[in-house]
Amino acid sequence: MIRNLNSMLADVGETCSTGWDSGRRQQVPRYLFLLLCLNLVAAPAVYAATDGAFSKTQSYAIALLALTTVALAAYLFVVIFQPERF
Amino acid sequence: MTSNPSDLRQPRGSRNQRRHTPKANMSGIYRRAIRDAFVKLNPRVAIRNPVMFVVWIGTIVTALVTLDPNLFGTAQGENPRLFNGLITIILFFTVVFANFAEAVAEGRGKAQADSLRATKSDTVARKVLPDGTIQEVSSTTLRQGDTVKVIAGDLIPADGEVIQGVASVDEAAITGESAPVLKQPGTDIASSVTGGTRIISDELTLRVTSDPGKGFIDRMIALVEGAERSKTPNEIALTVLLAVLTLVFLIVIATLPPIATYVQAPVSIAALIALLVALIPTTIGGLLSAIGIAGMDRVAQFNVVATSGRAVEACGDVSTLILDKTGTITLGNRLADEFIPVNGHSLQEVAQVSLAASVFDETPEGKSIVRLAQQLGATVDFDRASAEGIEFSARTRMSGTDLPNDREVRKGAVDAIRGFVRSRSGAITPDLDQAYEKVSRLGGTPLAVCDGGDLYGVIYLKDIIKPGIRERFDQLRRMGVRTIMLTGDNRITASVIASEAGVDDFIAEATPEDKIDVIRAEQSKGKLVAMTGDGTNDAPALAQANVGVAMNSGTQAAKEAANMVDLDSDPTKLIDLVTIGKQLLITRGALTTFSIANDIAKYFAIIPTIFAAAGIGALNIMRLSTPQSAILSALIYNALIIPALIPLALRGVQFRPLTANQLLRRNIFIYGIGGVIAPFVAVKLIDIIISAVGLA
Repeated sequence: MIRNLNSMLADVGETCSTGWDSGRRQQVPRYLFLLLCLNLVAAPAVYAATDGAFSKTQSYAIALLALTTVALAAYLFVVIFQPERF
Repeated sequence: MTSNPSDLRQPRGSRNQRRHTPKANMSGIYRRAIRDAFVKLNPRVAIRNPVMFVVWIGTIVTALVTLDPNLFGTAQGENPRLFNGLITIILFFTVVFANFAEAVAEGRGKAQADSLRATKSDTVARKVLPDGTIQEVSSTTLRQGDTVKVIAGDLIPADGEVIQGVASVDEAAITGESAPVLKQPGTDIASSVTGGTRIISDELTLRVTSDPGKGFIDRMIALVEGAERSKTPNEIALTVLLAVLTLVFLIVIATLPPIATYVQAPVSIAALIALLVALIPTTIGGLLSAIGIAGMDRVAQFNVVATSGRAVEACGDVSTLILDKTGTITLGNRLADEFIPVNGHSLQEVAQVSLAASVFDETPEGKSIVRLAQQLGATVDFDRASAEGIEFSARTRMSGTDLPNDREVRKGAVDAIRGFVRSRSGAITPDLDQAYEKVSRLGGTPLAVCDGGDLYGVIYLKDIIKPGIRERFDQLRRMGVRTIMLTGDNRITASVIASEAGVDDFIAEATPEDKIDVIRAEQSKGKLVAMTGDGTNDAPALAQANVGVAMNSGTQAAKEAANMVDLDSDPTKLIDLVTIGKQLLITRGALTTFSIANDIAKYFAIIPTIFAAAGIGALNIMRLSTPQSAILSALIYNALIIPALIPLALRGVQFRPLTANQLLRRNIFIYGIGGVIAPFVAVKLIDIIISAVGLA
């Protein structure tokens, strides 16, 4: 039983490690995933701040749009300070 | 410069014949460009262009509000889905048009790369083994240092140096020039061969100088295909400027909704994105890389391979040109025009000794001396088989013949012959200096001729200045480019040629080492220097110069040190390259001015109409019918101006030899004021059409 658990934990660890390595190679999906995770925090804040003026879906959409705008601004800052990367 | 058989140094092709790139199939360029325009929508590719990447993200957001107009709040206006859908389509095509511009510019290079790749077929090479036997191997197995034998009809299997044999080689595969080139060992100019070219007569033994995949054609493919293309310093600076403008407008648009709500004029997300796209400099953002690629392509059309866009751009910033006299300023074929007897000798005697001294000289100069001497009745009065030709060298600065009866006849630089005569206990007469000065003042090259210690006379080698060169130097001067002529001739000849050709400065009796000193001196004054070269001894100067153009007929060392290689081996092209570089910079500046000036009209088209409720409707000076129509008109203009300017971006703005200040005034007038007026007219026209069709 314990051996099976250890083996399972090792598999999970390996999967996470592989996923992380793959994420490092493929940066776009990783950034999208991070954006969606952040949206889980931002969307309820938008919903609460607007006092129910927007539906939950609209709150998620607005929060995602705000995060996309911030991400675009960050990207443009990178272009400005490290233009040779592009 | 090296001393070599001059018949191989002739610039091939006149000014009118220069544009002959290797034959490339151009028929499918546009089809391929359309396909590539969609391939470039891949975010990994799109992210390299910050302005168009923002438009691409905007397109995705407007597509979402097309699917669900209430996604970010309750939609306003009539039929928001149609309006959002139209914006999405226009934005999508804005990105596609920008990608198309880049793809078209890249297309020509790719077509050229394909045609070059076709010449790189795997061939069977005759490898010479250490024991002298020949083994047939695949050309891909050849390594640097291997020896191979090629015979008439063979494709040369790899880049190499001729170590034995004399043969004609057809280099059309790389130069497009069908005239065969003579290859022979022992000379800088004619001993290097390129893999993929074809030997058409006789046979050669070659030493391979490159490993597989690292040959000249491999490098050319990588260059014309743009595989090694990286942004030039000017492009980087402009990218930063565009990113700053985009960021500023992104912040402005992102902070606009609360203000809009406060002034009771709420704006939809699609309208905000439309406003953002209209305000950011999409025109230059979409055309920037196309302008750079087209600049490299224009260089390639002149049969010059540039190692990078940086080199082409540096041409535009060049402030000093260092030019060799022979072949660049003068035609290069100096021909004997007159014999001037000295020391009491007769004309007939001078002709006789000149003939004897030149009988083994195979250069055009030597042959012209023989011709002139024979016209004057001179004949070869010795057994050629028992005579020995003495070749010209940079050290001795003379050539001649050792005759069977221990006579030494020589011709060469007057100083060198003077020393030779003195070393043979001869006397120098004052009339030598008079003849020397007479020839020099005519702009010719004086060659003294002697028989041992007996001085006979001076040969007048006539140098002809290339037609139109003075006008071209005048043009360069107007552009602020200083020209310096380098020549091995004496000061008097150099000053005469310099004044006739109109160069700004000259260096007489120059050695190859003088080039690097001149370059360093100019660079220490903050100048950018361009020069040409072909010999191994030119390599350090080519590497030191900001723009070094090596002749294709030159040595491998020269080609590797230079940042451009002229496939036609025509040194005059340096002047054309400076023009192309300046044209590239002017085009980029003009379109940037135009793009930013456009924003003013787009601002006046969109802002007053969408904020009319806030009381700024009076600013709607174009009297656009509705806010939707205003937005669509501005966006349609914004999208269409990109393909409309593709021909200008690819061809370049018409070049005029003006100073930087004159160019700036001219660009501001044409592209600045024009960039303000044109969109006012175009947006109004599109608005009328949209209203008539009933789209908004």
